[in-house]
Order: sequence, then structure tokens, then C-alpha cells
Amino acid sequence: MLEFFQWMEGLVISGILRNSPVLGPGINVVHLLALTVFAGALLIVDLRLLGSGLTRQPLARLARDAQPWLIGGFIGLAITGTLQLMSTGTKQYYSSFFWMKMEILLTALVFTFTLRRWVTQMDEARVGPVWGKVVGLVSITLWTTVTVGARLIGLLS
Amino acid sequence: MVFLRSWFEWVNEFPSSIALRESLYGYPILLTAHVVTMCLFAGLIVMMDLRLVGLAYRETPASQVQRRLFPWQMLGMALSSITGLLLFYGQPMRFYGKVFFWVKMTLMGLAGINALAFHFRTYRSVASWDADPVAPFGARLAGALSIALWAGVIVFGRLVAYDYMTYK
Repeated sequence: MLEFFQWMEGLVISGILRNSPVLGPGINVVHLLALTVFAGALLIVDLRLLGSGLTRQPLARLARDAQPWLIGGFIGLAITGTLQLMSTGTKQYYSSFFWMKMEILLTALVFTFTLRRWVTQMDEARVGPVWGKVVGLVSITLWTTVTVGARLIGLLS
Repeated sequence: MVFLRSWFEWVNEFPSSIALRESLYGYPILLTAHVVTMCLFAGLIVMMDLRLVGLAYRETPASQVQRRLFPWQMLGMALSSITGLLLFYGQPMRFYGKVFFWVKMTLMGLAGINALAFHFRTYRSVASWDADPVAPFGARLAGALSIALWAGVIVFGRLVAYDYMTYK
């Protein structure tokens, strides 16, 4: 695995990203903007699951409306995140926060596109008041942990 | 901003400011909390703005998006303001010399003015366009300005971390 991170860091494009005074900060900026869109589209539905926010709207329609922004935000995060990983491969490899973030990210992704998706598309009467709240709370917790872990790679590694 | 310098220098010498500056985990914890609470605030602001410009939630009445997200936006604003003020309190002289910091503050002020102008002018007539998938020009303009200004706040906020355009 270490070889893979070293290989990535050694790529020409990684060097360009690392040595450019504009590209590195620019990628970090776009990563944060994408995070904002992603978080908004996530929270508007999670808050609804918790029984707050847009409670007068049908859950399934709200989730459908938010979906393109959720996926778009995530694609932006994934592209800029991959570029960040390429330019600082070994630093990430030796950061325990990086591995923590990636494990929880994987969990959060699976959770969001299976359980959370089923619950938001299901007939609300069948979901019941409790399961909606559990799913909303788990979603917020998982994604907050990913964000915290990600921020700490840069700060405490 | 020169008139603020002596005030910044004064805060810089507070024992609690020095303690925050010198603490090992103060800065990482505050900055992480600032990012997370910013997501709550700016994320829901952007969702509201997307409804105003007519790009999302078009079947939801505009007034619902405005009113129902408001408490959470305010919570996010309060928490990100507190963490932001503490970040500033720990290193006032670091931020004083950064052009990007002042750009961020200016854009924040403009975003606030835009929000108030929308609320006290265009939003007063919301009853007549509440269910329209595309809001009137004034509302679309306010939404587009809000997205641009808050994006600017985030961009320059992130760039404060770098040493570009930094002076003593």
C-alpha cells in the first residue's frame, strides 16, 4: 500500500500540483465549496428526517430535489480530494486521521446509498416516526465525523 | 483599517489570547468546529438561495424554505461566529496583516446587507409569488448575489490560511 502512495506522489501531475502556488490552494478552496453544497443537500433531508425544517413537504420529493446537489457536491469533493491525495500521498499514508476518515467515509457512503435512500423513498407511514429519526441522526453523525477527520489530516498530521 | 491596529494589538496581549495562541489543540479544535458549523450555516443558505434562483426545490413554497430553515441557519451562524471570533481572538495580529481576511469580512458585510435588503423589500410580496417555481427578478437576483457573496466568503476564508498578500 505504501508503494502505491509513493507512486502516486511521484507522478508528474502530483509534482505540478505540489509546486504550483495557485493549484494547491485552489483545489482546497473548491473542496470546501463542494463540501458546502454537499452538506446543505444532506442536512435539508436529514433535518426533515429528524422532524424539523421542511416538514410540510413529502419526504420522498424533498430527497429527490436534493439528490442532484448531494451527488454533484460529492463528485466535486471526490475529484478535488483525489487531487489532494495525489499531491500529498505519503503524508496522508502516515496520518491516522486519513485512514479513520476513509473508513468512516466508506461506511457513510454505503449507509447513504442504501438505508438512507430506502427510508427517504419509502412511504412515510411505513417508516414510522422513530426510524426516520434514527437514520437522520446516524447520517449527520457519520458525515460530521468524516468532515472532522478530514480537517484534522491537515491540522494534526 | 489602520485605526483598528492599536485595538488589535491590545487584544493580542490579553493573557487569555496568549494562552489560546500557545495552546497545542486550541487552534485545530476551533478551526475544525468552524468548518463543521459553517457547513450547517452556509449549506442551508445555499439550499435556500437555489430555491430563489429557481434551480432547486421548485415545488416547495419559497416562504416555507425561508421560514423553516431559518432557525437552523441562525444556529449555524451563531456557532460559526463564536468559533470564528475565538480563532480571531487567539491571533488578532496574524489576521490584521492579511488582505484576504479583510476581503472576507467585507464580503460578509455585503452578504448581510443583501439578505436584509431582500427581506425588507422583495420578500414582503412573497404571498403573490410563493408557489411560483421561478421567483420574480428581485428574488432571483438576491439569491444569485447571496450564492456569489457567501462563496466569496468561503474562498477568502480558506485562503487566509496561506501567506499570500500578508503584511506586518
